Amino acid sequence: MHLALPDYLVILLYFAVVLTVGFMIKYKIKTTNDFLMSSRSVPLWITSLAFISANLGAQEVIGMAASGAKYGIMTSHFYWLGAIPAMVFLGIFMMPFYYGSRARSVPEYLALRFDDKTRSLNAVAFAVMTIFSSGISLYALALLMKIILGWSFEFSVFMAAGIVLIYTFLGGLTSAVYNEVLQFFLIVLGIAPVVFIGLHEAGGWSGIVKNLPEAMTHTWKNMGSVDDNPMGVNGWGMTMGLGFVMSFGYWCTDFLVVQRAMIARNMSAARRTPIIASFPKMMMPFIVIAPGLIAMALTNAHAGFSLPLKPDGRTDFDMALPSLIAHYYPSGLLGVGVTALLASFMSGMAGNVTAFNTVFTFDIYQAHIKKDGTDEHYLLVGKMATVFGILASIGTAYLTSRFNNLNDFLQLVFSFVNGPLFATFLLGMFWKRTTGHGAFWGLLLGTVFAAIFHGITVAEGKGGWLGFNVYEFHSGMGQAFGVATVAWTCCFIFTILVSLITKPKEEKELEGLVYSLTPRLKDPKNPVYLAIAMIVLGIILNLLFF
Amino acid sequence: MDKLTDLRFIIGLFFSLSGVVLILTYFVVTQSNHPQMNLYAGCVMLLFGLFMLLMFYKGDAADA
Repeated sequence: MHLALPDYLVILLYFAVVLTVGFMIKYKIKTTNDFLMSSRSVPLWITSLAFISANLGAQEVIGMAASGAKYGIMTSHFYWLGAIPAMVFLGIFMMPFYYGSRARSVPEYLALRFDDKTRSLNAVAFAVMTIFSSGISLYALALLMKIILGWSFEFSVFMAAGIVLIYTFLGGLTSAVYNEVLQFFLIVLGIAPVVFIGLHEAGGWSGIVKNLPEAMTHTWKNMGSVDDNPMGVNGWGMTMGLGFVMSFGYWCTDFLVVQRAMIARNMSAARRTPIIASFPKMMMPFIVIAPGLIAMALTNAHAGFSLPLKPDGRTDFDMALPSLIAHYYPSGLLGVGVTALLASFMSGMAGNVTAFNTVFTFDIYQAHIKKDGTDEHYLLVGKMATVFGILASIGTAYLTSRFNNLNDFLQLVFSFVNGPLFATFLLGMFWKRTTGHGAFWGLLLGTVFAAIFHGITVAEGKGGWLGFNVYEFHSGMGQAFGVATVAWTCCFIFTILVSLITKPKEEKELEGLVYSLTPRLKDPKNPVYLAIAMIVLGIILNLLFF
Repeated sequence: MDKLTDLRFIIGLFFSLSGVVLILTYFVVTQSNHPQMNLYAGCVMLLFGLFMLLMFYKGDAADA
């Protein structure tokens, strides 16, 4: 892929805009609240788009196209089953506690609801995960740019990290959120042309159906057995593992996305943020998954395009989207496509860093190191945490480049840590008897049992590291869903058991933090009807591609 | 400065300029690889950019 002057013009225009945003917002940053929480004054349309854009990093854009090429339309389960219900649940049931408690972060909610040790466990795990995620995103960016444009690893890493550092250091969360929204439109407008032209070349949806195996063009039809679909997961595993445990664990508890709703102007807007965001979210498969299906259909049809192969001769699914862009885009539009990819990588990194600096400042530094500092002091700490986050991301990117298996290992550890989270929040918000000790031990034991379960099961040659194998999964994805389900179930059970033998907080302390002790909200813009509409739309999409 | 940091203005400006670059590329640069895509995508981006700028000016007038 060779870039020409018009391509570089678009890329430079994007860089100029994001840097200018940082410099202009800098003058609005006066307090820690401005820098880390955007003064809770961001309009609803921005928080809604930022909510899904924070998750629309490069791994998502490249990875979902790759999954589309590998598994077909079943990949849309990650949206229509694995996101929409959880986003609606967050808006209706959980935002009132996050926003109403005036917590500045998700770990701080845990401190208010439970105790400091539960907060610290969540905060440290989250801080470490965000840094590694940011570094892996940076590594993936450098790798992709090396493959498609021939840019050196060092140039890509320092160029991307430098730009993200400048605009997040200057403009804080507002700057990151603005760029996320810009990135959302860039991805939609930059990738949509490849979908249109690819669909045309493939002969429309009917052409795709003709050139792909039947199992790749249905979402649910072949989920009766693990043998009948390319994902190797059955309906129960998909619904429980992805649709409930992993989905609710991510969308309802991960501060990276929840933070975007927490900076809305008022409670009503905070509740509607994830619900409104669920509409573009359910449309995203047509932008990010469709290219994968198109690439595979064109390859099978021998229609002048074929997916590249890896050195070992296997199909390189990760190149589905970049190779389509390189094949079909003329100079100019190619620049828009490359900018969309760059924006998704950089925005993903900025999202992680701005979530990290907030959790570090409020939940680690202020909670444990200096409790009574001035606002100027915490603003400085927030800015230093931003610099540290970027430097640590660069370090992680280099570490990942030296140890090939580090990425897989970290993803595995993240799944152990994330699996149990939703059980803790569910019990904490809806069962007033849940105690801090119960939450802490539930989280810890949920993570431990997730690791043990992975150690005694095998899938695609992975797992079974405890030396014996009690069950073999049909696919790695099935194993991941199984691990998440075990983590959630163990956390749920241990939290209840430990809570029953320990002393709960006084009811007075739990007002506004637990469902049964919180007065019902009287919101003139009741989001329930909107939520029902989104759920119905999600069901219709599932039925259309059943 | 507040007006310039309105996200509608930023998005509008970026996509209007990008759209103009693509349209100019279609007319100025000879290409064999689906050159009409630059024209179509450029027009869509320009229209979207102008729409966002319009929203910005309408919002600005309403605020005033």
